[in-house]
Amino acid sequence: MRLGARGLVRRFGTLTANDRVDFAARRGTVHAIVGGNGAGKSTLMRILQGVDQPDEGSVIVDGKPVAFRHPADAFARGIGMVHQEFMLVPGLSLLENLILAREPADALGRLDIPAALAAARALEHQAGVTLDWHMPVDDAPVHVRQIVEILRLLYRGADVLILDEPTAVLAPSQVRDLIGLLQRLKADGRTILFISHKLDEVMSVADDITVMRQGRVVASLAAAATSKAAIAEMMIGEIVDAPAARPASAGTAVLSVVDLVATDPRGIVKLRGVDLTVHAGEIVAVAGVAGNGQDELVAAVTGLGRRLRGSVTLAGVDIADLPPSARRARGLAYLSPDRKAEGLCIAASIADNTIAGHHRRPAFSAGGILRRGAIARHVETLLDRYSVQRAASDLPISSLSGGNQQRVAIARELDGAPKVLVSCQPTRGVDIRGIAFIHRCLLDYRDRGGAVLLVSEELDEIIALADRIVVLFEGRRTGEIRRGDGDIEAIGRMMLGERAA
Amino acid sequence: MTAMPETALAASAASGWSRRAGTLALPALPVVLAFALAAIVLALAGHDPVDVYGQLLTEAFGSRQRIASTLAASTPLILSGLAIAVAFRAGAFNVGVEGCIYVGGLAAAFAGFTFTGLGPALLPVALVTGIATGALWMLLPGLLRARLGVDEVVTTLMLNFIAISLTSYLVNGPLLAPGAANSATPMIADAARLPRLFSGINLNAGFAIALALVVLYWLWGRWTAIGFETRLAGLNARFARATGLDVPMLIIRMMLMSGAIGGLAGAVHALGNVHRFVAGFSPGYGFTGIAVALLGRGNALGILLAAILFGALATSGATIQLFTDVPVEIVNILQGMVMIFAVARFGLLFARRKAS
Repeated sequence: MRLGARGLVRRFGTLTANDRVDFAARRGTVHAIVGGNGAGKSTLMRILQGVDQPDEGSVIVDGKPVAFRHPADAFARGIGMVHQEFMLVPGLSLLENLILAREPADALGRLDIPAALAAARALEHQAGVTLDWHMPVDDAPVHVRQIVEILRLLYRGADVLILDEPTAVLAPSQVRDLIGLLQRLKADGRTILFISHKLDEVMSVADDITVMRQGRVVASLAAAATSKAAIAEMMIGEIVDAPAARPASAGTAVLSVVDLVATDPRGIVKLRGVDLTVHAGEIVAVAGVAGNGQDELVAAVTGLGRRLRGSVTLAGVDIADLPPSARRARGLAYLSPDRKAEGLCIAASIADNTIAGHHRRPAFSAGGILRRGAIARHVETLLDRYSVQRAASDLPISSLSGGNQQRVAIARELDGAPKVLVSCQPTRGVDIRGIAFIHRCLLDYRDRGGAVLLVSEELDEIIALADRIVVLFEGRRTGEIRRGDGDIEAIGRMMLGERAA
Repeated sequence: MTAMPETALAASAASGWSRRAGTLALPALPVVLAFALAAIVLALAGHDPVDVYGQLLTEAFGSRQRIASTLAASTPLILSGLAIAVAFRAGAFNVGVEGCIYVGGLAAAFAGFTFTGLGPALLPVALVTGIATGALWMLLPGLLRARLGVDEVVTTLMLNFIAISLTSYLVNGPLLAPGAANSATPMIADAARLPRLFSGINLNAGFAIALALVVLYWLWGRWTAIGFETRLAGLNARFARATGLDVPMLIIRMMLMSGAIGGLAGAVHALGNVHRFVAGFSPGYGFTGIAVALLGRGNALGILLAAILFGALATSGATIQLFTDVPVEIVNILQGMVMIFAVARFGLLFARRKAS
């Protein structure tokens, strides 16, 4: 056994995040850890990495119990982690990021670039990839950054790689590339801990699977000896029906953009002339690999970013030059992809997050004075309707799990019957049960006549929900597919630039 | 429901335990630490710390007169603390309240000795003149921060030098009292003076104004829509903007509000204590106000208590050296230590216990 745990317990107040967790990852295998949000995966990872310490039990390395006090302790034993948010330094090249903190130097202490490049090429060869090492990190696509993260760990001598939801940011063909890379690393004798809740990928890459639910290990078994359905059932305890999306009866055009050209915050044109219309009672999804203009489209529609040209019309009124507040007043709602930094105010209470933006409605304030009683009643009703699990609504929203936080954000955005909902990555970091609930919310809203512009990196989600799918590549449309007209592979090809026939 | 957490710090702690610790123990900790460290300094210097602290307590609160002096000394600190806290709530760090006190104080004094024909209306007119001048003084940094992203710490700090020099020029030139040798304006009319609250006790209506403002500040933070919006903008500007708040406008308004309260602090000092404007008008009220706001964690009651603490130190420090061989510097050291510890983020010590 290369890395494992025996009887790990970690408590936070009354919550037991890890409850007697056992698992064993064999050397030279891919070991998947699956489970919904709040299953205890993140806590386990933090302990394995030395970021957090267990209350009971211990981490096992090479068959012996160890006590990690710092991440450096874990790293000294060859354990490294690729985080969901990449830890690369902007402004530096890929090569500089690779060697950061372990720079090869010559006798005079000067940076030895040829030696660094040679090391980089050797790693490339091992991993079976080719990179332009002098490219600045900021220009590198997401999957390249991920490879650099992995190679950096190898460069620094790690032979156990922990990957936290590594495929969340990748297109289908890139997922296959990553899986190929992991297989090669495994063949070299490295051990990989693969954390995911995407069972297709888990089944295709893992040798062993450990399933977690509510802080406990439910099962640990060989991938060959089980099935996707069996794992899913263990993860959630019961089968959750995927919401049945019924065909929409689209009404009048609610949101339309014409010839929209927009830049990212650095002023680089990322959206190059896009037309798009969302009708009442319709979900239109925008598919694409991250960074192909989706963010800029959303920013131009919500008014949070810069638009160079083109029009944005909401219910017949041109809103392109209005500030975000005025767009909201006209019936635009926006579910942010960045829940922690934009979708919620993490330092404020659950109640504050629920009412924010609605607090000026006549029911909730008069003459600038808040009607706190009415607000409190409304917040409780809303949170109950969206089944937000909470001890009290005045607690900080950071006390909720990711799925419950997202429910608060959706409850707030769908409150007050908006005309159109711009919904970005609505289920990012949410477990299966939470995903089903959020999907049902979006479909119910559509069935009530709402218009949804859905931006998602989850193709399954887009296919499950969308009435029409628009594919963006490098800021342009490469195709449009109606419900039932296309398969995942066809959309995947358009996401990589191939135009629809 | 509901008691909303007053500060970002308290709100960031997750469990009930650390929330209580955050709201009760953390604000008191800097004070305790400062007094403990100063006790060591006192002992090293050959004084009995318990004895000295007892004397300080007596000098600050030992009689009605002493209490009145302490409250009088804390009045400008309450106001400047509130001025800083208002801007801070919106996410702007206004270190220019000192400048507002200077321009507000001079403007109020000017009104007080110029428009003497107004009779009983003179006092409110003079107060409003000070308030308006202070607000106007913060218009430029507010606009620069909100519209162009210019760091308000730099602009407001620099404006302090301008305010102090400009007022100093005015009282040495155009506004110098006829026949006066020192740099001071003429005395204000009697009608412009803030009346005493109780006869025979040296505490004027400025303290009542400051108390009223503490209550207004609390109401603003808890009961008004704009107070709620300001808090959201200060905690997370990106979130506030995405939910449809006009964050730049909020920042401008709160910078103006901050300047107005700073101007009021100057007006109250001019009309209540000095009765004119002199060069070197404020002994750093605007800067002590930063410590007051930080020590009070932006909380209304906290600011009041912190201002009284600093007021007490100022009062007792001034008299203790008259009666003992304890030098006034020891009180300054004590003040400085409270300020340092008030700025330190003790919450970080508890971060590891935070359930996340």
